[in-house]
Amino acid sequence: MIMREQLLKLLKEIRPDVDFENEKKLIDNGVLDSFDIISTVQEMNDAFGVEIDVEDLEPANFNTIEAMMELIEKLQSEI
Amino acid sequence: MSIVTLPFFLFVAGLLVVYYLVPKKIRGPVLLIASYVFYWLNSHWLLLVLLGTSLAVYGFGLLIQREHDRYRRELGEHPEWTREEKKARKDRSRKRARRIMVLGILVSAAVLLFLKYFNFFGENLNGLLSLFGLDNPIPKLNLLLPLGISFYTLQAIAYLADVYRAKIQADKNPLKFLLFMSFFPQIIQGPIPRHSQLADQLYEGHAFDYRQVCFGAQMMLWGLIKKLIIAERLAVPVQALYAADSGYTGPIVFFGALLYGFWIYADFSGGMDIARGVAQMLGVNLVKNFNQPYYSTSIEDFWRRWHITMGTWMKDYIFYPLSLSRAFTNLSRKSRKILGQYAGKRLPAFLAMFIVYFLVGFWHGADWKYIVYGVWNGCFIMSGILLENVYRKGRELCRIPENSASWRLFRMFRTLVIVSLGRFFSGADSLQTALAMFKNTVTHWKDITFLTNGTLLKLGLTTSNWIILALFLALLFYVDFRHEKGTSFREVFARQPLVFRWGIYIAAVLAILIFGLYGPEYNAAAFIYQQF
Repeated sequence: MIMREQLLKLLKEIRPDVDFENEKKLIDNGVLDSFDIISTVQEMNDAFGVEIDVEDLEPANFNTIEAMMELIEKLQSEI
Repeated sequence: MSIVTLPFFLFVAGLLVVYYLVPKKIRGPVLLIASYVFYWLNSHWLLLVLLGTSLAVYGFGLLIQREHDRYRRELGEHPEWTREEKKARKDRSRKRARRIMVLGILVSAAVLLFLKYFNFFGENLNGLLSLFGLDNPIPKLNLLLPLGISFYTLQAIAYLADVYRAKIQADKNPLKFLLFMSFFPQIIQGPIPRHSQLADQLYEGHAFDYRQVCFGAQMMLWGLIKKLIIAERLAVPVQALYAADSGYTGPIVFFGALLYGFWIYADFSGGMDIARGVAQMLGVNLVKNFNQPYYSTSIEDFWRRWHITMGTWMKDYIFYPLSLSRAFTNLSRKSRKILGQYAGKRLPAFLAMFIVYFLVGFWHGADWKYIVYGVWNGCFIMSGILLENVYRKGRELCRIPENSASWRLFRMFRTLVIVSLGRFFSGADSLQTALAMFKNTVTHWKDITFLTNGTLLKLGLTTSNWIILALFLALLFYVDFRHEKGTSFREVFARQPLVFRWGIYIAAVLAILIFGLYGPEYNAAAFIYQQF
């Protein structure tokens, strides 16, 4: 899927040391810190044309790459 | 009523009896009454400030909720609306809700800003105005601080933001909300709770659970050991070394800062354990506020282990909202054009981080030294992030594996030094004194003979007291070490035979009675964070 590959590439640029494919608790386990999250949100906003808000910053939306994709899809459908 | 005094223990004991005797349904209101009685005993008529703020925030919460509910209702009543129409109405509703939230936050913050910071602003403004020939036009007011105002104000702001963000529903029960804002073990010095984590479990009556009461009592005992044996003892040499006219120079000044760090850790975390212990005895689970901070490997790590609830509050209510705000995203776009991708992308987050640590410092007190303290920490965090690649390359060059114990120890040591230097600012009586202490540390920096030439015995503690201090500090760091590894002492004790368990409890109580300091120094070194 194009979005997944794009997202993975974007995430790997921010944190090349993290295994995004398999990590299931990126937020709950503190793998991504607040700076990583801000960078991720900025890149996601630019790449996918969405506006991620503070309210969307729930661990459930960022714990896995699949959750992030769901968030993007949800926001894209609201535009 | 200090929480290490007999009246407090009697208060808690009496409350426990009443709490578990009355029907479950009224246990919540009993806690509320107890909290307000405790507050009255501490702050008298300033109780009205807490009450007023709590009721105002409760009201604002309901108004925000009403706005959310109205929009949802209209959405249901008008299935014919187009997507554009729905979005337009949603935006309008959110704008209204946001205005109410902002007003509520301003009202709570204004009370704190006025009572705690009026004189600070006044003095500084007078200083500025004197450049124009005006002679101190702003008067100095004699303002009293209601107990815990620095803590419960943050709690209130978090609540209003959470209701606005629809993370929680507004609390419809005024008594439950009043209790949430005033629960006595935590009002003194935190932790700073979130409504979703605390409000329900506070108000619902809990059944008597022997294990919880036992564990809570044990936590209280540990807190008392930290506070009465370690903190009160450390207070003596720390005050001697931090005195503005002490005349000490060289490494002994840094030693003072090191001791100050231990002092504030023992005092603050000890108080936290007493609070959590009391809460646990009532069946309430308060959030941890410390996570073995002396095992931090960086300043960033330190602030995830020290005063944890302040860190998470800043992250959720200052850092993220600022970084993701329209103003900051526009700034990001502009700075990417001017500074390039790397720096440009990071600038807004750094600016937000700087603001966070400025606020952390400012929150600690109405003094420039605290602001410098906050900024000191912020600068090291930001430099740590900026130099991340540099550090990594350096480490690879020296062929040091990331997970090696020696590298970890080095990072812990480095963090300890930076944190301790920061304690010049938070502990000295003024910014000038702190800077003088900095200067005094580096003059005669080779002079470590203070450790052996008897200087230590001139700081107010006898040899035997130093030994007791050293032993209990070692115990504290051992306990922290085991906690870092995941051991729960209370679980371990629970599995031991009765004789051993009670032996430990009696030993702890005896230790507190024998080694605890209750003398005149005790009043001077009052709960450091209580003044907040």
